[in-house]
Amino acid sequence: MTKQEVLRKKSVQILEKIRESLEKLNERMEIMIELQKHGRRDVQPLPEAPLDVMTLLSMPDHLRKTAMTVCRLGRATADEVAQQTRRARAVESAYLNQLVIMGHLKKERKGRKAYFYVEKEDQG
Amino acid sequence: MVLSRIIAVHSYKGGTGKTLLSVNLAATFVKHGKKVCLLDLDFRAPSLSTIFKIEKAEHWFNDYLNGTCEIDKALIDLSDGINNDGKLFVGLANPATEAIRDMSAKDRKWEMRALGRLLALRNSLLNDKGFDYLIFDTSPGLQYSSINAIVSADLVIVATTFDTSDVDGTRRMLRELYDLFEKKTEIVLNKVLYDVSSKFGKEEVQAKIKDVYQVPLLGIIPCFCDVSKAEGNIIFAQERLEHPFTKILDEMAHKIDNNKA
Repeated sequence: MTKQEVLRKKSVQILEKIRESLEKLNERMEIMIELQKHGRRDVQPLPEAPLDVMTLLSMPDHLRKTAMTVCRLGRATADEVAQQTRRARAVESAYLNQLVIMGHLKKERKGRKAYFYVEKEDQG
Repeated sequence: MVLSRIIAVHSYKGGTGKTLLSVNLAATFVKHGKKVCLLDLDFRAPSLSTIFKIEKAEHWFNDYLNGTCEIDKALIDLSDGINNDGKLFVGLANPATEAIRDMSAKDRKWEMRALGRLLALRNSLLNDKGFDYLIFDTSPGLQYSSINAIVSADLVIVATTFDTSDVDGTRRMLRELYDLFEKKTEIVLNKVLYDVSSKFGKEEVQAKIKDVYQVPLLGIIPCFCDVSKAEGNIIFAQERLEHPFTKILDEMAHKIDNNKA
């Protein structure tokens, strides 16, 4: 491998890291915006909050739509949820993260993608 | 457009004819050559085991929701004697008192898992096993099992009567339950008394229902003495092919099949 190729590879790796960090930062900002929009009292983190139908019924409409879509898909990215709900990806990302804070969904990162799902150990 | 292949039959009050409708709708689809699975989600007052005269089952539908058996073990094939390509499978709620008590005491986590299992039926039964329709017979009102069925369904058929408390409750449920879950909902008005002295004829009843509920009307079933006299022992759609009740069910099934419902 030439010196130039090594340098190029390093640059790509650095850019990838920057991109990942920016995405994480973006997610945190979306959560902060959501927290501000709905007031902190709405989004107290709950360690265990089963996503049953009565909980779904008591949710605000915008979150219910997102939560039901994840229930239906089983496991989904913000992109996949947005395709179903026909809302913007950034909006769904914010709602999904809010549902994670509320303890209703779990989030797992795989590479660059973040997957949201209803807690596995509860699915029996 | 989403096809109405998973149907939940629900009502606000008991005694509106949910089970009669579920069983006969299933039998009608089968008569039309469809592969149908009828599931009893009325765990507090199971009745399909009595209607189909099955006292003991190796596995009940309760077992599937409990996660102790797979769905194919919980279904009973009742296709013997059907003269066309139609197939009928049933998943029965366990009528034993102990089972009813057990199902009444389930917690939120269990109900959440049960919802996951109901949602999984779309893949396991419709996609993998080639069923055309799944029909959930539910318990009345806001029961966990019924709401789970509603959330899992493509179409909710609401059986209602002209009883004032039923009308009020049904209207509330339309606004506060089905609408919140964005469910396609259709009304079946049951036990309607048409009589010459009545101020309402068929057209007036149709207009009134559309006005009161603001959702489409799937059908009107008059109060048939023959149906009451049969005391739940006859599946009209299967055994009384020329009966007007059977004809009404035929129309409903066609509407659903043509995706007009």
